[in-house]
Amino acid sequence: MKMSISLLINGETYQVNVPHKKTLLDVLREDLALTGTKKGCDSGECGACTVLMDGKPVNSCIVLAVDAVGKQITTIEGIGGITELDPIQEALVAHGAIQCGYCTPGIVMTAKALLDSNPHPTESQVREGITGNLCRCTGYVKIVEAIMDVSRR
Amino acid sequence: MSYSVVGQSVPRVDAREKVSGSALYTGDMMLPHMLIGKVLRSPFAHAKIISIDTSKAKELPGVKVVLTYEDTPKILWNSAGFPPSPGAILVEDQYILTNKARYVGDGIAAVAAVDEATAVQALELIEVEYEVLPALMNIERAMSDGAVLIHEAEKNIYGHTPVVIGDIDAGFADADFVFEDTYYVPKVNQVSLEPCGVSMAAPDKDGRITIWTSTQMPHLVRSITAHALGLKTGQIRIIKPPVGGAFGSRLGVVNEPIAALLAMKVGQPVMLKYTREEAFLATESRHPITMTIKTGVKKDGTFTARQLTSYIDGGAYATHTPSLAGPVAGWFLAMYKSPNIKVDNYSVYTNSTQCGAFRGYGNPQVVFAVESQIDDIAERLGIDPLELRLKNHPCAGEVWLWSGWVIESCGFEECIASGAKAIEWTKKRSKIGNESSHQGSKKRGVGMGYMMHVSGARPMLHETSAAMIKINEDGTANLIYSNSDCGQGAGTSLSQIAAEELGIPFEDVMITKTADTDVAGFDIGSHASRQTYSGGNSVKNAAAKAKQKILEMAAEMMETPVSELVVKGGRVWASNKSSEEPAKSVSIAEISHRAHFGSHGNQIIGVVSEEPPGNPPVYAAQFVEVEVDTETGIVEVLRVVAAHDVGTAINPAIVEGQIEGAIQQGIGYALTEEYCYDQESGKPLNPNLSDYKILTSVDMPQIETILVEAACDTGPFGAKSVGESGLVATAAAIANAVYNAIGIRFKELPMTPERVLAALQNKNK
Ligand code: FES
Ligand code: FES
Repeated sequence: MKMSISLLINGETYQVNVPHKKTLLDVLREDLALTGTKKGCDSGECGACTVLMDGKPVNSCIVLAVDAVGKQITTIEGIGGITELDPIQEALVAHGAIQCGYCTPGIVMTAKALLDSNPHPTESQVREGITGNLCRCTGYVKIVEAIMDVSRR
Repeated sequence: MSYSVVGQSVPRVDAREKVSGSALYTGDMMLPHMLIGKVLRSPFAHAKIISIDTSKAKELPGVKVVLTYEDTPKILWNSAGFPPSPGAILVEDQYILTNKARYVGDGIAAVAAVDEATAVQALELIEVEYEVLPALMNIERAMSDGAVLIHEAEKNIYGHTPVVIGDIDAGFADADFVFEDTYYVPKVNQVSLEPCGVSMAAPDKDGRITIWTSTQMPHLVRSITAHALGLKTGQIRIIKPPVGGAFGSRLGVVNEPIAALLAMKVGQPVMLKYTREEAFLATESRHPITMTIKTGVKKDGTFTARQLTSYIDGGAYATHTPSLAGPVAGWFLAMYKSPNIKVDNYSVYTNSTQCGAFRGYGNPQVVFAVESQIDDIAERLGIDPLELRLKNHPCAGEVWLWSGWVIESCGFEECIASGAKAIEWTKKRSKIGNESSHQGSKKRGVGMGYMMHVSGARPMLHETSAAMIKINEDGTANLIYSNSDCGQGAGTSLSQIAAEELGIPFEDVMITKTADTDVAGFDIGSHASRQTYSGGNSVKNAAAKAKQKILEMAAEMMETPVSELVVKGGRVWASNKSSEEPAKSVSIAEISHRAHFGSHGNQIIGVVSEEPPGNPPVYAAQFVEVEVDTETGIVEVLRVVAAHDVGTAINPAIVEGQIEGAIQQGIGYALTEEYCYDQESGKPLNPNLSDYKILTSVDMPQIETILVEAACDTGPFGAKSVGESGLVATAAAIANAVYNAIGIRFKELPMTPERVLAALQNKNK
């Protein structure tokens, strides 16, 4: 069964006609071509699909699109400007915290929410904060350094 | 030596597009009329297929094509990404879709439909009748008398790799002590965050097909796919967009032939994207190996004989296995010097998913076993474990048995010295269960492991790379290269090498971030930690050729001989004759403009296609401190000090990143990761990220990397390698630290809390 819904994403309203069981992740990627949000497992285990819903990080692969109606959704495409990056993104670049980059959009979203709610976290709070975002490339070392760097500013 | 951009941690060339989410990975792409492919997988580990009925699936609206074994070319092939070379033993034993199921997940049929839901529904409509055969889930069963044959190999053994040096029996007779131990290492999965197995194939009307694929080796995937499909190599074009991690999993063909066959049959583009479960079920993991190591040693720690007998569980298809048996022998015999060495490696089929490449390519397995036993030997002889290693490792100027070539440079002593100091070895490496390490039920220990690794696979495999440098009208440069960067940062390091050699700013070099076999020259790809050394040499030499032409043009313009010119900061300078004269210079932009539009129009281009001159080994000593909770059995790694000799670090942040990421995989190998099968049914027990545990940010210890830069003459600016080596010694170091903490020697990985508790209870009996 398809439903016509409207979603508020990165400040813009999108009208989509989607099966009621379709996840927010699949709608973002397939219907709206917002492919910056990645799929690493499709079952809430890896965090690659993290987006913000009303400022809170969620795994968009376990949220139904219909349940996102009426919420403010922010994806990686809504972070930073056309050419300039958000300070979190700049820090990840500067610290060499990006390798394959597949976890990176999810990390950016989680870090954003973390620093919005707690601008000066301790290192263990940072580690705790991103524990749902798996990374297989970096050992998290430079990711944690980058987030700590931003938090000290 | 002082360089301008070599040795700088410049940001990666692809960081901004990745961090902003705008980088397009294969799975992000969409083409007009693109169909979605899906594969029907066997629910049985071993079964004959009696019949398949696809009629209902074909009738489903939206289904465009359904393929089975009947529709595939009857060409046997091997998926491993090897160039034809002495070390490539390629047993061809698979078809694109099989007519006999050999593991749970084996591909039986494939469909392409207008969308994913329809494709999934079509799979459900395919009716298959199976005759189930016994599932042989381990080497013992596979090799037992009367076991059914998975292929046509007696006792399911399809390879024996022997090595004999000297006289092993005389060597043991000569020894004061002989140690013999058997070790087992499990199957582990690479778990690249982008699930392994994503390709999109688009046929054209000229009989060619373009395949976008997440791969480590565009050119070799091109030729293997062509062979499997019965096409000419030139009919296939491989494009490699950004890759979401690989670690060996994409070292060869994954699902490209299936996507291509579907696309060709229907004449439309097909996207074939494996789920996380399929990536576990149907793509290659690290080989489980059972290794028996026998070592003869004199009282003073001199080895008289070293012997390895190993049984390599290759899973259901040969792919890499018989070729991997070679390096497994190589890692073993090249680690420590001994006049007498014997190796026998056997490749065995079982009914698990085929095994292939995973960072280290057999070395982590061998090093776990060898380095565990070395610590036991040191303890028995009463020799410091560091001393024993220093005494017996091969060093610069000696022949390295892996390659048969002389070792160019060796930073191992410095690795040992700096690593030991950082971990406070002498203070902390006290007796087992030392009073000071008591903290109630928690016991601490330190341990270390040593390893050597390659910078390519010569002379066993060809290591061809090609590079082209084009100097643009404005003095910027394009580097055309089959860039198989999968996240490790090779594209950035290679750009630094080009900029350094050309003498232009790093920002002015633009590498082809996407590899395209229609554009770049033949390149082996990303394997054997070869990119910086092998690829780097070709890039440097191409840049040198372009630079020579720049100098020649400058000589003409400045009326100064080439021998008196140098390139620096984007300008060519004439060396100052007298200090009164102001320095004369001309910009590369002016030179290039003159080349393009002067009296004889030509662009300055430097091209090479070549193999690198050597294969310099790298060294590492990793030290760890652990805390073992004797009540819960939990081993916590508190700290890792990783001292690595990488030659010149072209980009230190990238080098550190390689080591740090590898250590996450190494700790997982030691403590948490094991891909398990039900031993009766052959069903995988943990093909997902909840049950297959990789380390999260809170699980990771402090990591301190120490870069030892023992530069080698043949490397680009002295670089050797780093990619794989970061995890090779980690599990051994942890096992040795656990022994130091609780006095228990684990000969099997992973050291899970259950196993540690059981061993503690056994010990206390
Ligand atoms: S894709 Fe959503 S958590 Fe992995
Ligand atoms: S950078 Fe590759 S998974 Fe994090």
